[in-house]
Amino acid sequence: MDHPPVSPRARAARASLTLPVVLTPVLRWVNTVRAKVRGVAQSLVEGRGPYARAFENLIVALVIFSIASIGVESIPGLPEWATRALYVAEIVVVAIFTFEYLLRLVAARNKFGFIFSYQGLVDLLAIAPFYVLGVDARWLRALRLLRVLKLQTHFLETVVEERTRELAEKNAALEKAQAQLKAELEVARALQLAILPASFPARSGCEAAARMIPATTMGGDFYDYIELPDGQVGLVIADVSGHGVPAAFFMAVARTNLHELALHHIDPGECLAQTNDALCAQNPLDLFVTVFYCVLDPKSGVLRYANGGHNPPYIRRAAGTVETLRGAGGLVLGAMPSGRYPTHTVQLVRGDRLVLFTDGVTEAFNPAEELYGAQRLADEVHVHGGGTPAALVERICQSVTNFAGTAPQSDDITLTVLTWGAP
Amino acid sequence: MNLRIEATGNVTYVAPVGRLDFDAAPGFQEALERLLGGAGERSAAVIIDGTALEYVSSAGLRAFLLAARAAQRSGIAFALCALQPAVREVFELSGFSRIIPVHTDRASALAQTPPGRA
Repeated sequence: MDHPPVSPRARAARASLTLPVVLTPVLRWVNTVRAKVRGVAQSLVEGRGPYARAFENLIVALVIFSIASIGVESIPGLPEWATRALYVAEIVVVAIFTFEYLLRLVAARNKFGFIFSYQGLVDLLAIAPFYVLGVDARWLRALRLLRVLKLQTHFLETVVEERTRELAEKNAALEKAQAQLKAELEVARALQLAILPASFPARSGCEAAARMIPATTMGGDFYDYIELPDGQVGLVIADVSGHGVPAAFFMAVARTNLHELALHHIDPGECLAQTNDALCAQNPLDLFVTVFYCVLDPKSGVLRYANGGHNPPYIRRAAGTVETLRGAGGLVLGAMPSGRYPTHTVQLVRGDRLVLFTDGVTEAFNPAEELYGAQRLADEVHVHGGGTPAALVERICQSVTNFAGTAPQSDDITLTVLTWGAP
Repeated sequence: MNLRIEATGNVTYVAPVGRLDFDAAPGFQEALERLLGGAGERSAAVIIDGTALEYVSSAGLRAFLLAARAAQRSGIAFALCALQPAVREVFELSGFSRIIPVHTDRASALAQTPPGRA
């Protein structure tokens, strides 16, 4: 039976296949050994283990010894045996320094980088003269003095290592503290949100909805819904100056004071005046709060309101037109005692909607740094205000967040919508 | 935020440039406190020129409130002038224009600002 003829090319191809098959285990073994040697070298010159420490101390000791021996050698009338001993010692020292240099070279990921690094050059300088000039060269002694530099690289390295470790420890402590602070702030934020009414009681004659989208930092917006003893309902929207924990505390104080005082002072302007005095009496940080407060009589549709420095709300009439509740207001609350807050009255007709908001809505920025603005809000209220209060709140929040896009939210966004005339 | 401060005679004009928001407010407040309180040479009046002031947040308003109080304590007249319409609206809505006089320009601010006791 004839074998098929084997072409020279096929033979060559087979050979080139066989060669790697034979060589692969050898190469693999070489690679393994190389990796092992490098690992050992690295653990000795770059590691932090006990062997690395011992090696490091040995080198430092040898440098000190070798520098000291220069002085000893120059003592006149040194016995022959001592000179010989120092001669041998110098050879041993250079041998160990050479071993150290090779170890560092093997361990280095970037060989050229090591050779031309400060330490690489200093290490080379500590051994090269011996090989180039021989142990007896007269001015070798002077060159050996350069080994002082070697000492410096070792101590420098130790100092840098220590500082790096200290820094890492401090960073870890800082990160832990920051995480703890963040967790506490989140709890505070949750508490703050929890004191806002989650929903408005269903009630014949009026219906309301509200939403607050907190900014990334703690803010001080709030809204409130107050059932007054005479059957009327009070509605509040407010914005504390600034951000952070102080604003959040002041918000809690303001909300509690206003809620309590509203039960005893049915007139909105009087209620704001009383709240203002209460806040001025307990305001160590000179914070203040803008408040719009209105009281609706669900039987008659009469709305009475007073404004303490807050942006005027909108009324969307049942027919769709949007008006601003412009009645003259007073100063923000908490800034100055004994302020006057005039009460205004407006008659609602069935189907009218009252839209209260904070400047987080109108002053939301988009990535191009444009303001959302009062006009956009008025347009949304005009076009989409015909549905339920909850639907309008949702619609406006969507519109603002779509507008803001990727721009960071710098202020709380708070909205409350009240309708009168639901049967 | 940059502040352009000009002292002419016994009146100091302070012209904030840009947005006076939560981040800018502390620096602005500190600068005004230096002019209005404490030791050193003081003007009889400090007038804020709002020509280049683009925006004032509630934290910015607080800086104005503290400045007005410091001015009152030190007996220095304190007023605003040449506010941009949006900023002027913030001062009117918040009621701050009732506690800090707001004038249309430097000339009328100067004419209507009674020099303080300092």
